Amino acid sequence: MKIETKAVEALFGENHILKGIDLNIEDHELVGIIGPNGSGKSTLLKCIYRVLKPSAGAVYLDGKALNAYPYKESAQRIAVVAQHNYYNFDFSVREVVLMGRAPHKRALERDTAEDVQIVAESLRTVGMDRFADRSFSTLSGGEQQRVILARALAQQTPCLILDEPTNHLDIKYQLQLMDLVRDLDRTVIAAVHDLNIAAMYCDRLYAMKDGRIVGQGRPNELLTAEFIQNIYEVEAQTMTDPSGNLHILFRPGI
Amino acid sequence: MNLKTGVFRGRPAYLLAIFALLTALIFSLLWAVTIGSVDLAIGDVYRVIAHKLFGCFDSEVYGRGSMSDIVWFVRLPRLVLAMGVGAALALSGAVMQAIVKNPLADPYVLGISSGASLGATLAILLGIGSFLGEDYVGIVAFAGAFLVSMGVIALANVGGRANSVKLILAGTALSAICSAVSNFVLYVINSSSGALEAVVRWTMGSLAGANWESNLLMLLISVAATLFFWSQYRTLNLMLLGDESAVTLGTDLHHWRILYLLMASLLVGFSVYTAGIIGFVGLIIPHAARMLFGTDHKKLIPISALLGAIFLLWADVLCRVLLERKELPIGILTSMIGAPCFIYLMARKKYGFGGGD
Repeated sequence: MKIETKAVEALFGENHILKGIDLNIEDHELVGIIGPNGSGKSTLLKCIYRVLKPSAGAVYLDGKALNAYPYKESAQRIAVVAQHNYYNFDFSVREVVLMGRAPHKRALERDTAEDVQIVAESLRTVGMDRFADRSFSTLSGGEQQRVILARALAQQTPCLILDEPTNHLDIKYQLQLMDLVRDLDRTVIAAVHDLNIAAMYCDRLYAMKDGRIVGQGRPNELLTAEFIQNIYEVEAQTMTDPSGNLHILFRPGI
Repeated sequence: MNLKTGVFRGRPAYLLAIFALLTALIFSLLWAVTIGSVDLAIGDVYRVIAHKLFGCFDSEVYGRGSMSDIVWFVRLPRLVLAMGVGAALALSGAVMQAIVKNPLADPYVLGISSGASLGATLAILLGIGSFLGEDYVGIVAFAGAFLVSMGVIALANVGGRANSVKLILAGTALSAICSAVSNFVLYVINSSSGALEAVVRWTMGSLAGANWESNLLMLLISVAATLFFWSQYRTLNLMLLGDESAVTLGTDLHHWRILYLLMASLLVGFSVYTAGIIGFVGLIIPHAARMLFGTDHKKLIPISALLGAIFLLWADVLCRVLLERKELPIGILTSMIGAPCFIYLMARKKYGFGGGD
């Protein structure tokens, strides 16, 4: 699925969080959004997954304005793994993942055998099938994140949005989750903190600073030491290993 | 065994439980109708009911006289009313907890209880609404409950769309205003004609006013509301995830929240109209159901309604037999049973109200 944003702006009171963002994401692309804290990454993603309304500009899915889709239909196209998933009530893991089927259901429709199967498959994909009957709130942060990914998979959408998905994960699961996402072969937009993860997995990167896009391109073209110094204000060094992967090394402040 | 997601997790288990509770409800009704301060033979009680329903047996013996009246116009109506009110309160409790995304909500949070009390106080002490006929106290209480919940919705929508926190804050504020006005009226009006006692009695709840017209309507409303909210289980589940997750799962909760709140306040308002204020049922019953079967509203809604009906039915029986020659107000009893149960649930480590940390 193709996703575009045209001159998207976001205002919170006096604060101009997004100052005109143009994105152009092609079908089956894995696009990373990088940038320092407060650069507007999450706000931009929230505009795309419809939790925030842009104060100017618009988001387009396959050329049609996002606002023109009923909520059910946009949820059939975009699934989200967001940063915080704290629930005040207890659901079992299976119940949480089953909610991913909600956008495909009409008002009085029952859960079918197919839904149950999709839920089981999604849980297997993220390696959480053994936990199906566990209570969601008793899981660790990383396990919860994987369950939420399973829920997003159960939505069976052509596009997936990840809002700093690897925040609570240790390195093994960070890599595992990103491997999984890459192998899904869907359109993926991910806000990524870790530049090495971004370099390893993303087809293309957009870099944000102060509510603007300040650069875009393939990771090995965009992520130069000079560029990183510019947007993150840290000294870095880049190197390419023998298999062609880009690595970014940081130097501590003096 | 993990209690947090319910003891009986499989689908057949919860359907079986619904069936078992329905059976228990019917048996409770048949048993409870034989209990009362007047000693009647069990066979006679059932013959009166059979006569009234199907016209069998001798109408000279079972169709008139004090025995017939006790069974058909005293015991049975209030048991039916207890079922209807119990189901309505438990149901609206479960729904309110979802609407405000807070496990401590009950039908009387969000100011609905204070609105009803204020209405009743004004009606009894100042005679407001007396042109509405002899039921005017209940009607004014109903109006109070409904107006306050409308006010809560309006207030919570000021400065941006309503969310769960704004609803609770608005409810608390309006609740305080209503109690202040009630207390003011109580304090200023120097009534000697037993009106104060009437207010107090009314706010303690009683099923003694049951009659066939109002209790059948109450039961019908409860059954209809149970079926409606049961069909809404997906949206209710999404409410617990919050507005943002719900949008990404295809539902904008805003309008649903208002619709459910209006329906829940209708349920509470009508319960208040028929039986006064009965606390704790709406808080404790959904928690008991959740402890047994988990949070999924597909199970929670029907089970809460059935448990509520059974609970209030037996509570009413206790009220009638506990004190000799005197009836205990049911609101006192439900609080006396409900609060310790609630503390027990709280103290149980395995049931953390889902709050976690």
